[in-house]
Amino acid sequence: MAKLTLQIDGKTIETESGRTILEVCKENDIHILTMCHLKGITDVGACRLCLVEIEGVSKLLSACTTKIADKMVVRTDTEKIKRYQRITTELFAAERNHVCSVCIANGHCELQKLAYDVKMDHIRYPYLFPQCEVDTSHPLYVLDHNRCIVCTRCVRVCAEVEGAYNWDVMNRGTNVRVISDFNTPWGESVTCTDCGKCVEACPTGALWPKAVVQGQLNKAPQMISELIEKRKMKL
Amino acid sequence: MDNSNKKQIVISPVTRIEGHAKISLQMDDSGQVTDARFHVNEFRGFEKFCEGRLYTEMPVISARICGICPVSHAISSVKACEMIQGVEPTYAGNLLRRLMHVGQNISSHALAFFHLSSPDLLLGYDSDPAKRNILGIAEKYRDVAIRGIRLRKFGQEISERITGKKIHAMGIAPGGIAFPLTEENRLALLNWIPEAKETIHIGINIIKKFHDENEAMVKSFSPTPTLYLGTVGSGGQHELYDGKLRFVDADGVILQDHVEPKRYLEFIAERSVNWSYLKSPYYKPYGFEKGIYRVGPLARLNVASRMKTPEAQVEFEQFKKINNSKPVHGTFYFHYARLIEALSGIEEAEIILNDKLITDKHVQHFARWNNHVGIGCSEAPRGTLFHHYITENTGKIKKVNLLIATGQNNPAMNRSILDVAQQYIHGDKIEEGMLNRVESAIRCYDPCLSCSTHAMGDMPFMVELVNAEGKILKRIARDN
Ligand code: SF4
Ligand code: SF4
Ligand code: FES
Ligand SMILES: [Fe+2]
Repeated sequence: MAKLTLQIDGKTIETESGRTILEVCKENDIHILTMCHLKGITDVGACRLCLVEIEGVSKLLSACTTKIADKMVVRTDTEKIKRYQRITTELFAAERNHVCSVCIANGHCELQKLAYDVKMDHIRYPYLFPQCEVDTSHPLYVLDHNRCIVCTRCVRVCAEVEGAYNWDVMNRGTNVRVISDFNTPWGESVTCTDCGKCVEACPTGALWPKAVVQGQLNKAPQMISELIEKRKMKL
Repeated sequence: MDNSNKKQIVISPVTRIEGHAKISLQMDDSGQVTDARFHVNEFRGFEKFCEGRLYTEMPVISARICGICPVSHAISSVKACEMIQGVEPTYAGNLLRRLMHVGQNISSHALAFFHLSSPDLLLGYDSDPAKRNILGIAEKYRDVAIRGIRLRKFGQEISERITGKKIHAMGIAPGGIAFPLTEENRLALLNWIPEAKETIHIGINIIKKFHDENEAMVKSFSPTPTLYLGTVGSGGQHELYDGKLRFVDADGVILQDHVEPKRYLEFIAERSVNWSYLKSPYYKPYGFEKGIYRVGPLARLNVASRMKTPEAQVEFEQFKKINNSKPVHGTFYFHYARLIEALSGIEEAEIILNDKLITDKHVQHFARWNNHVGIGCSEAPRGTLFHHYITENTGKIKKVNLLIATGQNNPAMNRSILDVAQQYIHGDKIEEGMLNRVESAIRCYDPCLSCSTHAMGDMPFMVELVNAEGKILKRIARDN
């Protein structure tokens, strides 16, 4: 593969082409905030947290979906980027009902951690308080739309890793919902294999096992990435 | 009715109780207080917004109802969950939960006595209101204040050392508890016992001295007889965590004994009143007028046949002498009862911490949703607390009923206020010390308003009133 040279945050990096800015950053210990990205599954650029500035490009681009190019000059740490990350995080928190104190994921939540990372001390947008369902129909797991940020990690993991294609997304805007099969209760799904990979992949308290209470949740999304690696190696 | 010949005295807000409240006293032309009402304006609608959640989330959600008694909510709740699952907690898990429950009771009683009530007792009812608080105590009785604060801390540390959280206890889970207790934490808690006992005895001496020096006032302080409800153990002993219901009448005759808490609706009915968010429960077989009952420390000592622990038993026997082994009705004795319970709690904590299996790692059983209905009960610091859930298939909550101590004491509390007001307020002669005694009647019940005003639905006008405190006043004036 062709070699190319680019600059990220002033650092000159030589690497192979065909890779995303995010991959290259990770390899070079340049920290970028992400949410919808999960190593090993297809990136879709849904959350807009990994935005970077590229010299000569007027808008911010998502690092997880933008491929590197020769002589590219990338910045990941500008004030503008930080401002957008903070806005994005606030909008996540304002859109549905994130009451961490009673949430199953309290203390074990990527969104909560993100809020700390961007130093979100208050929210400047009005809360929407939508009426969201809690789907308790599955014998083992719960889907609480109140906590879903529609990162679609569950959708992609189910399709790409388990191959079950149980999850999909319907509607637009604030009405967007993750759905099981053709928008039927999860417990009635004919495609779900009960494998639990979506639950492990979910960054928030939207998907969780019924067997746990607050304080006991311990998700391992990296396990999915490792699984993918192991399969590639045909061990 | 014509309003012109009536005066209304409004005391608001009642200081030094949890949450917000208002008392209004109705006076006629001759200066006689004719009616007393304790208003609760705070509104939290917990029952409503729990609908649609998974039942196993309830221990955590309901612990947020109140910052003083979160463990009691979590315990009543987790028992309801266990009834839904049809599962028993593990031995160690159950014991740790019992320990947390005891710890909360100690903290809450320490707060009620040392922070909220001792200013009246040590500084006097007629002392400067600006200094009649824990800071005033710290100035004049430094040791008492510090000990009170530390005793509260002991209770909270129990929760912290088991679950990692001081106040809103985590980890209380159907089937037991999420985390085992480490040996290090067990020893650290045991260390507290001698100091905690000493502090409680200091408190007991304060209250006894006050009783001796103010005998007439203490005896005549709202002594209206009521029925009592509390839970007791299998031998009729005082029991806060796992007891069965016992009702006694004003003479101490046992009306119902060893009733399974899940049968509570056979014996308790609730009536909504239009001037308060608190529902008014009563003992069903006697009807609303005659069925006024009380719960809480005084009630629990009135229903119990004995205490479980030796030092508390010694005090209990003295307590029983107050009214020749019959129920003690004087509302002022709430304080004494609370301290006896705290002493018993400290002794019980010591016993639990010395149990060989307390650090056992097998803390939780696992089960799934099995039954639609769950009812759980425990004695919160302020009285018997019921959680009642109805679920759909797979465990989604359809309906929640919370029957809370302050709500159950509500009718008796109004009667006590009226008693005190009639005794201390005549005509226009109203001094600060007198008004304070009315407040103090309420404070005897240690009402926890944030956790009692949880309901909505029965009173359609509640929602329109929630943000406007003054409007209730007008409504009442119109009603009269
Ligand atoms: S999902 Fe995360 S951010 Fe949302 S309420 Fe739960 S803990 Fe908080
Ligand atoms: S359920 Fe979880 S993983 Fe799926 S879209 Fe929502 S937040 Fe993402
Ligand atoms: S991680 Fe790149 S857009 Fe979400
Ligand atoms: Fe409370």
